[in-house]
Amino acid sequence: MFQSGFVKLLRDGKGFEGTLIAAAVLYLVVFAAFPLVYTVVMSFQEVDMFTLGTLVRPFAGLENYTDLFHRPEFTPIVWNTVIFVTLSIAFQLVIGFGLALFFQQDFPGSTYVRGLFLAGWILPALVVGAVWRWIFAGDFGVLNYALQSLGLIDGQIYWLSNPAYALYSVIIANIWLGVPFNMILLSVGLAGIPGDVYEAAEMDGANAFQRFLTITLPMMGPTLGAVIALGVIFTLQQFDLVAALTQGGPANASNVAQYWSWQMSFQTYEISGGATVATMMIALVIVVAVIYVRSVQREHTF
Amino acid sequence: MKRYLLLALAILFAAIYLFPVYWMYATALKTSGTIFKYPPELWPSEPLVQVSRVFAEHDIGRYLWNSLLVASGITAITMVLGTGAAYALANARGTKANIALFLVIVLQVLPPSLMVTPLFVAFNHAGLLDYPRTAVVLATAAKTLAFYIVLCRATFTQVPRELKDAALVDGNSHLGAFFLIILPLARNGILITSVLVFLQSFGEYVYSRSFIATRELQTATVNLATYLSANSADWVGLMNYAGIYVAPILIVFILLQRQIVTGLTSGALK
Repeated sequence: MFQSGFVKLLRDGKGFEGTLIAAAVLYLVVFAAFPLVYTVVMSFQEVDMFTLGTLVRPFAGLENYTDLFHRPEFTPIVWNTVIFVTLSIAFQLVIGFGLALFFQQDFPGSTYVRGLFLAGWILPALVVGAVWRWIFAGDFGVLNYALQSLGLIDGQIYWLSNPAYALYSVIIANIWLGVPFNMILLSVGLAGIPGDVYEAAEMDGANAFQRFLTITLPMMGPTLGAVIALGVIFTLQQFDLVAALTQGGPANASNVAQYWSWQMSFQTYEISGGATVATMMIALVIVVAVIYVRSVQREHTF
Repeated sequence: MKRYLLLALAILFAAIYLFPVYWMYATALKTSGTIFKYPPELWPSEPLVQVSRVFAEHDIGRYLWNSLLVASGITAITMVLGTGAAYALANARGTKANIALFLVIVLQVLPPSLMVTPLFVAFNHAGLLDYPRTAVVLATAAKTLAFYIVLCRATFTQVPRELKDAALVDGNSHLGAFFLIILPLARNGILITSVLVFLQSFGEYVYSRSFIATRELQTATVNLATYLSANSADWVGLMNYAGIYVAPILIVFILLQRQIVTGLTSGALK
């Protein structure tokens, strides 16, 4: 009886498609939405190694939050995160846009050579971090050698152990990781601009720079918005590079919020602290994601 | 002539960009003597293949096997749950479908390093941490599932609706139309997206690092990371390890480069 009803449900169009969606949504609710809610709950609880195994834990009110704000490392880590996100995205976007414009030109093999850049995107970030750690090495590193040969620096820079440089080293590696994805998305946007617009502008006597300012940039507006939103989302996910390069050190000089949250939960076992940082960062990511989804949807309705 | 000049310039840009990959393999071929020369040898003067030594010394096979198991599990769950949902979401109209799609996209962006805290506590309650690799698979699949649905949905929207309607008129059930007509047409998109999911899962780090306590069950990323922090002077060994690890990824990438680029660009902004 149940079985025949179930089979009928599957054979009927709405039931079949509804079941397919429900199965995936159920999985996401259990393994993504539920943990999401659970983080928020834990940020209002006292959670440490002793209360880890129990379900009912002491209510902490806003204590986790006030405690977090009063930590000496709070402000530097917030600033590091802001610098990390801003610089990563700015350079990924500029370099990616430059390359997208370059590969937009008509020459043999352009699509193939452009595709080679994606190798950087597909490699595990942890391995990329390991390789960059060797490139950054102070005494024998190839980056110092290159900069010295170009006459840009005199002595050795200790990229990863000098607090003044550590954060920027992670940012450089992160820019490297993000350039291909930015370039590919921007290439898609560029390909969507109709060619006759440029031809008309050319006939009107606009030079290449004027065409870029008056046609390319305005018409790329929605794409740029989407790419920046995705950039924020991806940059806030970057954990592996920090783990491979500096582990947030020296003395939190290169620590960012997403790494700090993990450190508290898994290295110092201040689980409520980790959950509190996670709650605030997830709220930020969701706001950005909602803006992104809405802008993309609006773009498709005209 | 100008076109070939542009090509030369393009190759130069790609070469500069891909230098870190070259440097990994160039270092892997050096010896512990030549590696600490300064200025560094840009081209190994006495190249020495040490792959098999490093492979045996660090028991790399075991950790690669764990990575392979985890990545296969993640890809399987993602494909089974994701393909149907992507298809249904490509067809569906209305508020419910919009909410489901919105949920999928938003859940896709949650950073693993932030989600790992509640997952760890919940898995600890559920006793799942006794099966750490399964725990990694279950947690990571939630991430890749959303990514997969978004990309595959774009593939399914390209399959003309009329084909499904024709199949239904011919007396197929919805189940039959999906398996016999729609799936074969969307096969390429599904396979490429699955390859992307597999390659991503093969390099998963956050969940593996946090859930897997037993050394024997570690994935290659976690093992490489412990090795990186424990013995950072042995760069020849490390770069060999890294080079062995990413070799299959690079080979798949070179073989499927064109399809990967098209697959990514078709779904990413839609």
